[in-house]
Amino acid sequence: MRRLFTCIAALCALTSGAALIQLKYAVQEQAENVEAIARQIHQDQESLRILEAEWAYLTSPRTLQELSIEFLALMPPSSKQVVGSVTEIPLRRSREVVGGDTSVLLSTADKKSQKNKQKNKQPSANSAGGKQATSEGNT
Amino acid sequence: MATLGARSISMDLDHTYRKPTPLSVARSRLMVGVILFMTAFVLMSVRTINLGMAAPLANRTAERQIVVPPVVFSRSDIVDRNGEVLAVNLQTSSLYANPQKVKDPALVAEQLAGILPELSRAELEQKLSSKKNFIWIKRKLTPRQKWQINALGVPALNFRAEEDRLYPHGRLAAHALGYVDIDGNGLAGVEHYFDERLSEAARTSEPLALALDIRVQYALADELEAAMRAHQAIGAAGLVMDVRTGEVLALVSMPDFDPNNVRGVGDAQKFNRASKGVYELGSTFKTFTFANALDDRVATLDDGYDATKPLKISRFLIRDDHPKKRYLSLPEIFAFSSNIGTAQLALDIGGERQQEFMQSIGLLTPSSVELTEVGAPMYPANWRKVSTMTISYGHGIAVSPLQLATGISAIVNGGTLNSATLLKNKDAWQDGQRVISPATSRQMRQLLRLAVTKGTGGRSDATGYRVGGKTGTAEKASGGGYAKKSLISSFMGVYPMDDPQYAVFALLDEPKGTKETFGFAGGGWVAAPVVKNVILRTAPLLGVLPREEDKGLYQNIALMIEDD
Repeated sequence: MRRLFTCIAALCALTSGAALIQLKYAVQEQAENVEAIARQIHQDQESLRILEAEWAYLTSPRTLQELSIEFLALMPPSSKQVVGSVTEIPLRRSREVVGGDTSVLLSTADKKSQKNKQKNKQPSANSAGGKQATSEGNT
Repeated sequence: MATLGARSISMDLDHTYRKPTPLSVARSRLMVGVILFMTAFVLMSVRTINLGMAAPLANRTAERQIVVPPVVFSRSDIVDRNGEVLAVNLQTSSLYANPQKVKDPALVAEQLAGILPELSRAELEQKLSSKKNFIWIKRKLTPRQKWQINALGVPALNFRAEEDRLYPHGRLAAHALGYVDIDGNGLAGVEHYFDERLSEAARTSEPLALALDIRVQYALADELEAAMRAHQAIGAAGLVMDVRTGEVLALVSMPDFDPNNVRGVGDAQKFNRASKGVYELGSTFKTFTFANALDDRVATLDDGYDATKPLKISRFLIRDDHPKKRYLSLPEIFAFSSNIGTAQLALDIGGERQQEFMQSIGLLTPSSVELTEVGAPMYPANWRKVSTMTISYGHGIAVSPLQLATGISAIVNGGTLNSATLLKNKDAWQDGQRVISPATSRQMRQLLRLAVTKGTGGRSDATGYRVGGKTGTAEKASGGGYAKKSLISSFMGVYPMDDPQYAVFALLDEPKGTKETFGFAGGGWVAAPVVKNVILRTAPLLGVLPREEDKGLYQNIALMIEDD
């Protein structure tokens, strides 16, 4: 009985000792991990500064304008292109522009092309029609 | 415990004293040890349970926490009002060598000269074959150069980490920012003015926020550069100012320089025309004369002066650039920029009062902007009658563009003067000092708007933005007289006139007329379009909405201007 007890105690001591060592190493490894991560964060912060400077350099207005001239057809905005309030947005034309025929059910892209056609035909009449549509509301 | 109890009981039971046997002595001694150990174990287990049950102690773990080392640098960043980086300190490497370890100086010199073309091969070879054990080869390499040198694999070459000041936007805002020397000391601009603050060790991680807006700065610089090229001007200056706070959103001086590399940059490029240059700005000064007269009730807008013929005062003759040869009402004098009318108005104000007013609006003292390059205004020490007359239309007094913009801002913003500032400070309007009444300010706004719609500043009228402003054309003083051909042409614009928010100033130094301007090189021809383009480009960025103008605001005065 006593012997059994001694054996169990010894076993317990051994296992707990082994577990402790295991834990110690695990903690050490984690601590090293944390330190490595901290170092990594520091390095990242440093490269972040460099990248921020590079970003500022690459997005400098002069660079952007040169790229815009090369790849886009953008011009400085005129005051007509700036919409000041929601009420300045013209409402979408209602049915009578399309003319009540089946093309009402066309997809928006098709409607657009149709509109453009009409616009080309009668630009002045069209704009007047647009105003009417605004007053009548979008049904 | 049980054995101990049994033993004491047995001792109690037999009343006779017996000499203890060696075995029992050993046993009782052993018991002492056992009791000690057991107490210790009990204590330990109690403590273990106690620790296990207790809440973790926060401050104990903090000691073990690993702190991320902060990125330290020796000088604060400079950012614009939107946080865009304007100046930043970065780690770079400097190359040095230990010549004693170099085996083949000729080869190394040749390789290095290939990577660093600005160094001469012969000089490098001489340096590398010297007997020293430390020589600098090049300070502040680019990352690419460093990589290439590393790839050579020469053990005698080494790097030392250094900091370099970088201006990612290059020439943009060079005059406002200034530059630093190789050791990072500010030598000009904001870098110099705030040198102590920028290098203060405790505050380097805190960027210095300027009032500049790099997008506005670019729009102004780009337009001025284009105008300078088109009119073959020798220089240009311009600025954009928030009229309510005095914050400078853009400050341009041309020709400019790249603060990343100031070696070999001449004084002409470094000279800040917007703050250090003082110029006779011409008719823009009429704004001050009119504000003065209206505020003192020397004259009302219903009055007028005779401008049929040039005005003679001692040996001077005051002429009009756009002569109408008739009686002009005050709004007409302003819109058509009549020197004759303005000079007579100034005489009614009186020299002393005029000087006092100019002083109050900051035209006779250097601007208090945060730059060391600030020019002192020039004006006659002896303010005679003829000075009063010429100063009323901007001759005989030279001020910096910054002073002018500050003064004009005060005239249009409701009458409070805020000193110009390069620091972001939205609350600066609170320090404003009243210089004219709000009513006068409203009248001046009407006059400035009409000078654009009906007068000389028509080419600045950016559709939808209700621009108001005044042209200025002055002949440059040279050798005691004035040079007819070399002009200082400027335009001072403010928008939107019904709720003034930004003042835009553009100045061209010695512009030449072109076919497009019919050979004219005055402020209305060369500088006003710059202001117009800048407004068109920047108003959407600054959140100013284009709107149909309320013509009623200007009607009563517009009726007094007769076109002929």
